[in-house]
Amino acid sequence: MLIAIRDLHRVYQVGTEQVHALNGVDLDIEKNEYVAIMGPSGSGKSTLMNLLGCLDTPSQGSYKLKDQEIGTLSDDELARIRNQEIGFVFQTFNLLARADAIHNVELPLVYAGVKHEERRRRAREALELVGLSDRMKHKPNELSGGQRQRVAIARALVNKPSIILADEPTGNLDSATGEEIMIAFENIWKQGNTVILVTHEPDIAQHANRVVRMRDGKVESDAATERRIARAHA
Amino acid sequence: MNLRESTGIALGALRANKLRSFLTLLGTIIGVASVIAVISFVEGLNRFVSDKLINAGSNVFVVDKYGFITSNEAYEEANKRPDIRMEDADALARGVPHARMVVAQTGSVERVRFRARHLDGISIRGRGPGYDVIDDLTIAQGRHITDFDDQHRQSVCVIGPEIADELLPGMDPIGKIIRVGEQSFQVIGVTTVKGKMLGQSQDRFVIVPVRTFLKYQTSQKSVEISIKSADQASLPIAIQEARNVLRGRRHVAPGKPDNFGITTADTWLEFYRTLTGGIFVVMIGVASIALVVGGIVIMNIMLVSVTERTREIGVRKALGARRRDILTQFLVEATTLSLVGGIIGILLGVGLALLVGALSPLPAGVNVFAIVLGIAMSSLVGVFFGSYPAFRAAKLDPIEALRYE
Repeated sequence: MLIAIRDLHRVYQVGTEQVHALNGVDLDIEKNEYVAIMGPSGSGKSTLMNLLGCLDTPSQGSYKLKDQEIGTLSDDELARIRNQEIGFVFQTFNLLARADAIHNVELPLVYAGVKHEERRRRAREALELVGLSDRMKHKPNELSGGQRQRVAIARALVNKPSIILADEPTGNLDSATGEEIMIAFENIWKQGNTVILVTHEPDIAQHANRVVRMRDGKVESDAATERRIARAHA
Repeated sequence: MNLRESTGIALGALRANKLRSFLTLLGTIIGVASVIAVISFVEGLNRFVSDKLINAGSNVFVVDKYGFITSNEAYEEANKRPDIRMEDADALARGVPHARMVVAQTGSVERVRFRARHLDGISIRGRGPGYDVIDDLTIAQGRHITDFDDQHRQSVCVIGPEIADELLPGMDPIGKIIRVGEQSFQVIGVTTVKGKMLGQSQDRFVIVPVRTFLKYQTSQKSVEISIKSADQASLPIAIQEARNVLRGRRHVAPGKPDNFGITTADTWLEFYRTLTGGIFVVMIGVASIALVVGGIVIMNIMLVSVTERTREIGVRKALGARRRDILTQFLVEATTLSLVGGIIGILLGVGLALLVGALSPLPAGVNVFAIVLGIAMSSLVGVFFGSYPAFRAAKLDPIEALRYE
């Protein structure tokens, strides 16, 4: 099992009030699954994503990533896990404005301590994979929204992580470009990667094989999508 | 780590906003520039003064009524002492075996005239023979004053080249009779040009035999006596011999202090060093204040930068940057900033020192130590004042940083 979550709780202290953002979540995700996490705002899906991405630690319960308990790790160990195991794709792309595309893609490798030439080589490969080999020296403001998101995807892939974690990846894109990005994710998944998609758009969620719906800090439903069924029959 | 990247970010930010960068770095620039300038200046001054003082008066000490006076009370006290007279000079010439030369001198300031021309405020020096060695004077034209001139109180004089040019322009000065105060003197020699020292001309004087000077002069009878010892080693012995002679002649009881002064080049040098040491301390203080102000401005700009780039910090953390990666990045940026200020300051300070060197006779030395100090100080300012903003950046929570608008 890649991800094993048992009775996960996350409690925030807001003033004098305690907010139970997650209230006992159980979730297993296997290697090379394509999962969408859905839910209205306040359902706890962002909190779950932060925990899955090792940006946060649970208040209670267990989150095991590759049999490693995340809750007990120090800040630096969490940083290492994020660097090695997680590839983030954000709604707002979050590229460094001053750096060109290849430099942005290299960034995780910088923190992994990879040598300069090796970094260049791997970043170039990742950009080729998302079809941007001709845009390597472009700064983000010289790229279209779709191109920026593909740079971000290349950055997420460059360290060969266990999970690609995408938070509303099409939220800032028009639907045609969004579709393009979803094709990119599908290809990534087909190459053997595990993709977790956080979204509130049912159309986008339908690209996944499995949809986990959240409500009030709990998993409301967890089911295969039509597409998976279609894929299974194909 | 990503040292090159952090340096690049800092330099890029500097380039992107030149005026703001300049204002940010002004304090550091001024601080470092003043330190460099002061060190170079004082160093140059030191070298200059030691050169002049030690070379001109090597193995020379001066005996006079006052000695080295630094306060009004000391002057009042010394004024009551008996005068030093030519007889004392003669006794020293006989009684100091380690002296190679004993030269008496006195002086005043007078108007000098030749026909319709006159010059005011000219230094008139009564000197015994041998003054040329003590004062390091060479004759360009004519001859020096001799022992004969002095003993027979001849009305002759040796003049500096500036006097010759201004009082006797276009004329052969030798043999001309000039008026010095109320007396007439025949010019027998002109010295070679020496140039300026600390902005003062060294070529504007009239030298007459000391006994001639004293014959005409009634108000001031005390003379100074310059004594040159045979060599460096015999200088302290000569000083002791001179002291013994004078104490005997002036009836100073054993155990009582000298009622005359003995100064050497070292006395002046020491005084001078104390003086410049003071200047040094004050200027370093001023520079430190500038550096602290500069550091605070850098801290402020780094805090702004951390806030502006909260999201970037969040992204970097999400991609695996550890606390110390972020800390290092911002420290490197702050240090790059202050180092740029330091380098500009060094260039400015060196430029200032060279300018002073070009416009004045001071050999303003560019000092390697000063440059190293400038670089060390500016990087220290960067590290010190950069650490708080860098620490703030490093401990940001990645989730909140990513959410920051």
